[in-house]
Amino acid sequence: MEQRLANTWQMTVNERKFIEMALAADLRVDDRGPFDYRPCTITFGRHVFLSPPFHSSLIYLCAGGSSEVQLGETRVMSYVTSQLVQPYRDRPNEGTLSIFTEFSPMADPAFEAGRPGEFAIELGRIVDRGLRESGAVDMESLCVVVGKLVWSIRVDLHILDNGGNLIDAANIAALASLLTFRRPECTLGGDDNHELIIHDIEDREPLPLIIHHLPVAVTFAVFGEGNIMVIDPSYKEESVMGGRMTITMNSNGDICAVQKAGIGISSSVIIRCLEICAVKAAEITSKINHAMESFNDGRSIQYPNFHPVDVAIQDNLPDVIMDKKQIENLIGHLAALPLDALDRNSNKSGAVVVGTNTRAKFENNQARDGVPFYSPSNWDPYPRKLCSRLARSSLKLSGLPEDVEEDKVNTTQSVTVECGLEHTKGASSSRALETPSEYTTVEATSQYIKAPKTLKDAVKIQNRKMRK
Amino acid sequence: MNSMPSDSASMSFVDRVVVPGDHVLDLTGMANQTIKLGAGLRQDGDAISVMKAGKLRISKPNKYWVESSHKRYVPCVEDTVLGIVVDSKFDNFLVDIKAPMLGLLPVLAFEGGTRRNIPKFEIGTLLYVRVVKANNTMNPELSCMDETGKAAEFGPLKDGYMFETSTGLARMLLSSPPCPILEALGKSLSYEIAIGLNGRVWVNAASPSTVILVSNAIMNSEFLSAAQQKIMVEKLMKRLQ
Repeated sequence: MEQRLANTWQMTVNERKFIEMALAADLRVDDRGPFDYRPCTITFGRHVFLSPPFHSSLIYLCAGGSSEVQLGETRVMSYVTSQLVQPYRDRPNEGTLSIFTEFSPMADPAFEAGRPGEFAIELGRIVDRGLRESGAVDMESLCVVVGKLVWSIRVDLHILDNGGNLIDAANIAALASLLTFRRPECTLGGDDNHELIIHDIEDREPLPLIIHHLPVAVTFAVFGEGNIMVIDPSYKEESVMGGRMTITMNSNGDICAVQKAGIGISSSVIIRCLEICAVKAAEITSKINHAMESFNDGRSIQYPNFHPVDVAIQDNLPDVIMDKKQIENLIGHLAALPLDALDRNSNKSGAVVVGTNTRAKFENNQARDGVPFYSPSNWDPYPRKLCSRLARSSLKLSGLPEDVEEDKVNTTQSVTVECGLEHTKGASSSRALETPSEYTTVEATSQYIKAPKTLKDAVKIQNRKMRK
Repeated sequence: MNSMPSDSASMSFVDRVVVPGDHVLDLTGMANQTIKLGAGLRQDGDAISVMKAGKLRISKPNKYWVESSHKRYVPCVEDTVLGIVVDSKFDNFLVDIKAPMLGLLPVLAFEGGTRRNIPKFEIGTLLYVRVVKANNTMNPELSCMDETGKAAEFGPLKDGYMFETSTGLARMLLSSPPCPILEALGKSLSYEIAIGLNGRVWVNAASPSTVILVSNAIMNSEFLSAAQQKIMVEKLMKRLQ
C-alpha cells in the first residue's frame, strides 16, 4: 500500500487553490489563453512495400495508415488496418469500422495494463461516435460483394503519454490515420463478372477511404460553479476540473456528437461553447489538411505508383481470381477456423506493425535475425486464409495431390523477417531476398504455382489439419 | 575518454562531463592521503572510476563527487526538500519526496512539539523539510527542525504554486552566487520562492500572473546559459508592460 502511495502522483492543496484562483482571473498556469490549444504536431508513419513473395499477403499491411499526434505533452498514436469479412446481416452492403483503445501504463501510472478502464472505453466511444455514427467514413464504398464480403476497417489508438486532453489528441490521430490509409483495389471481373480480383499494389494503386467530412473533437474543462470553461485542459487542470464537455463538430458547423461529464453547466454556457467549438474545429481541420498535403506530396515523390524500390524478384503470380463458389468456400473456411490469437506477438506500443505472425520458410541460406512480426494486437487483420496466396492455396488444396504438399513442408531454414515502418528497413529486407536461385525457377505453369517455401505453405498445413 | 594516470590530469576531469567507466583518479601516486568519494564514484583497486553520468566536482581539500540531473530524487542527509503529505499515522506523517520510498516525518519533529500540539496536516499539504536519515534500505527520515531544534523556515507552505523540475535545475537555482534567472526576475518582480533539492519548486507572489510568469521562466531556463536567461527575462518583462 505504501509503495502504491509512493508511486502515484500527488496534487498539493496549494496547486489546486492556485489553479482555481488563476482561472477565476482568466489565467492559465502554462501561460495560455483560456481558449488556446497547445501546439499540435501530426506525423505520419511511412509505408513499406515489400517485393514478392511477401507482397500478396502483406499488401493490406503495407497500405496501413498510421499517425502520431503530439498535443503539448500528450502523445497518441493511431493505426488503421483492414480485413475482408462477412457483413452484418442487417447491413449487407456496408463495411464496418471499429475503434480500439490501448491505454499503456507507460503513459500514466494510473493506467493499468490489461482490460480497458472506464475512461478508455469512454474515449473509444467518443471517437467512434464521431467517426462512424456521423457518417464521416463512407461505409457503402467498402462493400465488395453484397452480403458476402466487405472491408472491415479497424482503428487502434495507442496512448503513449498522458499530458491531459486525450480525447482531442486521439480523435485527431484517428482522423489523420484514416485519411492516409489505403486499401487494395478489388474488382469483379472475369468472364461472367462473378470473379473477385484482389489486385496487387503494383498493378493497381491502393485506394483511399472515402471520408465525407472530418469530425473534430474539442474538449472543454469546467471549473468553479460551472461558469469557467477552458479548452484543451492540461494534466493538472484535468485533476482540478469539476466537469468536462467534449463537442465533436466538423468544419461545416454540424455537431456530430456531444459528451458531457461532471458538474452541471447552464445552457447559455453550452451555446457559447458551441460557438467557440466551431472556430476551433475549423482551425484543427485546416491543420490536419495541411499535414496531409505535405505528407502526400512527400509520398508521391518517393513512391510514384507505389512501386517497391528494389524489385529483384519476378512476380509471375497472377492475381487471385475467385468465382462465386470459391468465395463461398472461403467464407465457410473463415467461419470454421478459429482465430489463432494465442501465438501472436502483440506489440502494445504500436510501433512497427507490418506483417502477420507467420514464418516465411525459405530454402535460401541467408540468415536473418529472428526478428518477429508483430500484429497490432491479438486480432489478426490479415488472416492468412484470405490473402490471395491462401486463396490460391485453398484452390490448390482441392486440386493437387497431397504428397506434393508434403515436399514443400521440409524446409531447411525458417526465417522471420521484420518489416517496419522505416522504409529503409523494408528496402533492405527486399534486397536481402534478392535472387536466391530457387526463385528464378518459379514458373507459372498453372494457377497452382510451385513456389519455394512461402507464407502460404505455413498456412496450408494448418488448413489440412483443420479439415481433418 | 582515456584514463590518465596522473594527479594533474585528474584535475582536468573536474567540472567536466564524465560517463560511467571513466577512471578519473589514480591512487598509486597518492599514498597517505585520504580521498572522500561522494555520489557516483567508486574505488576500483588503484583507480577511482565513475558510475553515474554527470559532471565531476571537487570540494577542497579532498572530496570528489559526480553531479547529475534526474527526475527521481535520491535522498541524502542534510538535504532540504519539498514534500507532500500523503497520510498521517500515529507517530509519523508519510511524506512523498519523489524518492523511491515515502519519507517519514515524526509528529514530534517540530519546534516545541509535544504530544499535545501535534500539527494537523491534511492530505496534499506542501512541507519544507530536512532529510535526517537516508539509507537506501529504509524509508528516509525527515524533520521540520534544524540541528539546533529551531523551526528555521521549515514547515508547511501556504498558498503559492508548486511545480516539478529535474534535480539539476533545482541545484542550479540553489547555487551561490545566486542563479542569473532568479536575480533577473527579482530585479523587476517581487516573489517568494522555496526550492527543494528533490526537484520541487514553490513560488508565491502577490498576483497570480507574477507567479505564472516566474514559474514558466524558471522551467524554461534549465538549458539556457546565463546570458540567454537574462535576455529571456528581459523579453518577458517587455511583454508584461
